[in-house]
Amino acid sequence: MKKTGNRETALILLGIFIVGFFVFFTNNFYKSVWEKSGLEEAEETRNYDKQYEMIVGSGKNEFWQAVYESALEAAQEHDAYVQFHARDMGDGYDEIDYMEISIAAGADGIILEFNGEESLKAEINKAVEAGIPVITIMSDAPDSSRQSFVGPNDYQVGQAYGKQIAGLLDEKTKSVLVLMDSENGNFEKSQIYSQISTAVMEEDHGQKIDVKAESMTSDNKFDIEEVIRSIFQAPEGPPQILVCMDEITTECAYQAMIDFNMVGEIKIIGYYVSDTIQKAVEKGLIPVTSTLDTAKMGKNCVEALWEFEQEGRVNSYYNVELQFLTKEDIRDAMPTDSGEE
Amino acid sequence: MEEEKKKRRRWRDIPLATKMILAVGSIMVMMLVINMILYEQVNKTIRRMDTVYSSNVDLTDLSASLENVQQALYSYLSVKTSDSLENYYRCEQDYRYLLENLSSQISSNPTKLLERNIRQMSETYLSLTGEGVAAKRGRNVEKYKEIYDQSQELYGYINSYIYQLNSQQFRNNSSSYQALREALRYLEISSLVLMAVMMGIGALVLFAITKGMIEPLANLAEIAHLVGQGNFDVKMTKTDSLDEVGVVTRAFNTMVESLGEYVVRTKESMEKEQQMMEKELLMKNHLKEAQLKYLQSQINPHFLFNSLNAGVQLAMLEDAEKTCIFVEKMADFFRYNVKKGLEDASLGEELTAVENYIYILNVRFAGDIHFTKKVDESIMECRVPSMILQPLVENAVNHGIRNIDWEGKILLEITGLEDNILIRVKDNGKGMSEERIREVLDGCMEDTGEQSDSTGVGMNNVISRLELYYDKKNLVEINSPGENMGTEIILTLPRTGGEK
Repeated sequence: MKKTGNRETALILLGIFIVGFFVFFTNNFYKSVWEKSGLEEAEETRNYDKQYEMIVGSGKNEFWQAVYESALEAAQEHDAYVQFHARDMGDGYDEIDYMEISIAAGADGIILEFNGEESLKAEINKAVEAGIPVITIMSDAPDSSRQSFVGPNDYQVGQAYGKQIAGLLDEKTKSVLVLMDSENGNFEKSQIYSQISTAVMEEDHGQKIDVKAESMTSDNKFDIEEVIRSIFQAPEGPPQILVCMDEITTECAYQAMIDFNMVGEIKIIGYYVSDTIQKAVEKGLIPVTSTLDTAKMGKNCVEALWEFEQEGRVNSYYNVELQFLTKEDIRDAMPTDSGEE
Repeated sequence: MEEEKKKRRRWRDIPLATKMILAVGSIMVMMLVINMILYEQVNKTIRRMDTVYSSNVDLTDLSASLENVQQALYSYLSVKTSDSLENYYRCEQDYRYLLENLSSQISSNPTKLLERNIRQMSETYLSLTGEGVAAKRGRNVEKYKEIYDQSQELYGYINSYIYQLNSQQFRNNSSSYQALREALRYLEISSLVLMAVMMGIGALVLFAITKGMIEPLANLAEIAHLVGQGNFDVKMTKTDSLDEVGVVTRAFNTMVESLGEYVVRTKESMEKEQQMMEKELLMKNHLKEAQLKYLQSQINPHFLFNSLNAGVQLAMLEDAEKTCIFVEKMADFFRYNVKKGLEDASLGEELTAVENYIYILNVRFAGDIHFTKKVDESIMECRVPSMILQPLVENAVNHGIRNIDWEGKILLEITGLEDNILIRVKDNGKGMSEERIREVLDGCMEDTGEQSDSTGVGMNNVISRLELYYDKKNLVEINSPGENMGTEIILTLPRTGGEK
């Protein structure tokens, strides 16, 4: 009988253990499910004091992504959050809509890539009137009431490009095409264009090199692709030097050059260092590509907004220098990161 | 059940009914607890599932409310009635109320951020519509038209943001819903497993407990059966448990013990009684036999004695002295026979009877029998059964020395030892074979009664009576060296038994 008693106790203890284990296991699982189901609350969120808006043309560009990331990082230091808006993000809104939204949403600051539209200037003025500081980035709207501009100086950019183009000129060069990313159709007035023209002219030794410009601002990638293909298929033939002013244009031109089997005949001056562009430069297919310090740009924008808020005034211009990378120095310039420099 | 263990009271001391109730009850309680846990979890999950899409519903409400505001604004601006104004204010109120639910935090969480944007934009929108209403009141046509256009634009933005938020929340909610569904499925399986495990354990525990209770009872039944068949040596293993089974076991053991003792005692007394009865019966039997034998030869002994006495007197009258002595001895012999038939006698009396017998025989056979006696006179008063010496001597005469060619001699020797009396009757007659001796000693030889010459008491009778009298065997020894070498009969009688 004593034996039976012991066996019973053992059985009961075993039972309690098993049941306890199951209950524990179920509860644990259940908790995890619970947390999973409350995903939106559980996700690590941070609340901020201020909200900045960043409005650019092409959100898919790695360049803008990099700028946005550095801006967000800089903003977080000031307890501010940056929201990213781009014309091609699928909402069907353009810069003006985003400006309207940002004003209505009572943003604490707007970082805007000015695309040259007059109505956008009006929006800048409206925002500033509503007490929202506006910083333009990359391309400036000097005659608006924007607080500051962060980006390269057109004059310097034009000179730098001119210098690069001059370096690529040879006897075969008959025409140079500059693919501008500005909406502004009046290229003659553009500092970049005029500086490039000047530089080419200086190097021109009776060849009568034709310097042309074309606007590449468009709503989507396909338009750019088509424009470039039409350039390559033009009856007078493509230009010998193609200057690209943004990332997608560079990639499209590069692809077209390969498709039309014109490697060596056309020299592309690229823009930014995406994976494709980096590989092309390393192979020598694109002789040189330019880039801007995205980290510095993003940081400068946020700093400008912050400074304006604190001091009530701010530098009206933060210069960002253009760098040119060739086959030799692209490796050193692109450590491992997505490549800001 | 563990609690019981902790107490000083042991499991086996608990009454059976309590044991059963404890076992079943604890299993039921455990089942109940597990059920409650599972039920609670399932309930929680279902409640949660019910509310998963509530945020979407809220947003739909918000969107509808916003539309109401815009419509109310439009209807007021187009037809300025107090009803439409009232309607506008009510819609605005509703919308503001719904806006309260949206987060106003600037957060890295896109949902929260969208909520804030919608809220902020709505505030702007409402202040704009407010201005519009004021402008309409002030009949500022230009202004309210412009404001309406602006509000229309903002309305579009807000709506699209609400739509965005809605789809974002729908994504979140869907994943929540998925997770909850999985949880429910898991709960279903785990509860099944848990129940099955509990059932199994419960059944095992019940089985063990029931077995613990039934086993001793089954043992008891088996042993009771054995006892019923008369085996009192079996016993239940000792137990000190205080439950009913323990009590019954101990009671059973005690019962078996006393039953055994009682049976042994009864058996003993019955055996004794039986023995005594047998002995009595035998004794009576032998006495009857002896008496019968005497009676056959004692037809009216008084007449015989009187006749013999008359013969004695006649012989004396005729001066026939020898005849007188002979008849007198004969009368003595028969008187002794008759008188002592049922009693014991002293050795001296027995010896006298033998001498009388020998005298008679010597008269009959003209002194052919040479009888010698060697007697220890000190023990002549010892009591022995009557009629034992004479038959021995008669035996020696009849079967020993009768019809022999040589001179017959009979020696009677009575010796007193420390504890015993040794009586030896020896003859030099025909002797006895081994088989014959064994037959006589075993009592197999029947007295046929054919020896008409006998006084009537045979060896067999003597041996039986001696054994009954002394309650002892092997009192008689018969030796015969061989044919015609004579026979020796030795009686070894206990001395004490003889002295009454």
